[in-house]
Amino acid sequence: MKKNKNYSIDKEKSFWGLIFVIPSLIFFAFFSFYPILNAIYMSFFKKNLLSLRPARFVGIKNYLYLFNSRQFIQSVKNSAIFSLSTFLLLVLFSLFFAVLITNIKRFQKFFQMVFYSPAVLSSVVAAVIWLFIFDPRGLANQGLNFIASTRGVDYKWLASTNMLRLATVLVYFWKYVGYFTIIFIAGIGSIPSSLYEASKIDGATPLQEFFYITLPLLKPTTLLVSIMAMVRCLKTFSTQYLFTTAGAPSRPINVITLNIYNTAIQDHRIGLASAMSILLFLVLIFLAWFQLRVSKSDEVSYQ
Amino acid sequence: MNSKNKMINNNDSFIEDFSIFRILIWIVLLFFAVLIVIPLLFMFTASIMPATEILKMPYPWFTGQVHWQNYWDGIKGPYDSFIYIRNIFNSIVVSTSVTFTTVILSAITGYSLAKFEFKGKALIFMAIMGTMMVPFEAIMVPLYMVALNLGISDSYAGLILPFLTNAFGIFMMRQYLITFPDDMLDSARIDGAGEFEIFWKIVLPNCKPVIATLAVLTFRTQWDNLLWPLMVIQSEEMKTIPLYIIRFLAETNTDEGIMMAIAATASIPIFILFFTMSKYFINSGVHSGSKS
Repeated sequence: MKKNKNYSIDKEKSFWGLIFVIPSLIFFAFFSFYPILNAIYMSFFKKNLLSLRPARFVGIKNYLYLFNSRQFIQSVKNSAIFSLSTFLLLVLFSLFFAVLITNIKRFQKFFQMVFYSPAVLSSVVAAVIWLFIFDPRGLANQGLNFIASTRGVDYKWLASTNMLRLATVLVYFWKYVGYFTIIFIAGIGSIPSSLYEASKIDGATPLQEFFYITLPLLKPTTLLVSIMAMVRCLKTFSTQYLFTTAGAPSRPINVITLNIYNTAIQDHRIGLASAMSILLFLVLIFLAWFQLRVSKSDEVSYQ
Repeated sequence: MNSKNKMINNNDSFIEDFSIFRILIWIVLLFFAVLIVIPLLFMFTASIMPATEILKMPYPWFTGQVHWQNYWDGIKGPYDSFIYIRNIFNSIVVSTSVTFTTVILSAITGYSLAKFEFKGKALIFMAIMGTMMVPFEAIMVPLYMVALNLGISDSYAGLILPFLTNAFGIFMMRQYLITFPDDMLDSARIDGAGEFEIFWKIVLPNCKPVIATLAVLTFRTQWDNLLWPLMVIQSEEMKTIPLYIIRFLAETNTDEGIMMAIAATASIPIFILFFTMSKYFINSGVHSGSKS
């Protein structure tokens, strides 16, 4: 009798469990599972968004086309340059800021808030602000002229290839450095303070503390931040889009996401855009896999 | 990472408060803090200056008088259409409804995955978690086709529906609820409470911190969203604030003061949220950082 009742409770519970996931599953089916499969599928087809002609199977021709397309290679290069330089700056400076902030006694919260504040802005707003800062008469030129003690030189922030790239890197760096600083601070917070007390007794200098305790024990956090920063940088879109809309030359900052967008929405070449998406996805999944692998083989123990 | 609130003073007695070292740290931090704040200051100061002042070299920072006209012109918009009001309304509608629905959906799905046993659960869990690996940018093209086929492009449905699938939110909720005491649920069941009632009256109220974190994260992402609205929205009436900014930038001969005024109004809601709920903002950063 009792067993029977338990059985029916279990059955009822499994019924409700299913009921509770079904709404999510429906959304996932339409807006996640299907598009993922469809992206893979479409990447083997030639399809124009506006034409009524059905998609034509072209095998791996889309991919071959991409690998031979100057414009695509250029956008891969742009993404690589942008991501590598931004990610390096982000990791180095956010670690630096986190170590500094955890080493002061008062106003830790205050500095966290200040450094984090650009991250809450919407990326379009951030890009617009910097667009005007990079204006020929804007703050960027004034600042650089002041530092380099030149007068009235226009550094062509939004016109020359390398300056334009630097400009997008700066926007991104400014926006996200505080975000990663916070993650590093949390990482430093999880290092047992007994280690620092012990090193204090042994008479370690602050620099020794940093290199022999903080840095090695922060390895998992550093790895995490690196991958996250890399992934985020590869997905950058708003700054580049806004700068090109405002008239900056698109060639140096035509990153891969911008290229996908333009190929699909402006040129209506759905198959080709899908193929690009799949390639981007493969890079990102590789990064995720890499992170998983390294973090597994590299468990840190505090003892 | 439960130690985020624990502020650390590694060098308490080691370095005296006014040692050269510590003063140096302060100087460096203040220097960078100022650098980081300058663009924000620029936005707010330029938003109350006529364009002629903004382009003066050196930049005057504050002219002594407040030029509110910029805000008025920004709100009036191109051709005095006042489309700004509609656009910011759209942003609010989309952000709040996505946030609200995502929280409820993630909570109920996470609850089911944490506390119920049913056939195919492992598979469902894996499938949902798997989508976390797939960035939006990789599926936006087929997603756009889905929106066209469902006839939801250029509508609220088109802006909202694709974002109700938040694998990360489900994951966060599940992790939080997996340690939720079963006794509490069972005793409610014995008292004759229905499963929905248990979820609504017992589970949900006990998830407040995680809900707040997820809500902040979602709201912010939506308020910031550019790429998807850019694809799916064509009419001026359905545009959100980021699109309004882009349009304004492309259409008028970009009066910098007006642009900065619009940028400021678009940022004020999120800044208010940030200052009142900074704890959850910082949590959301740390959480999304530790998702592996």
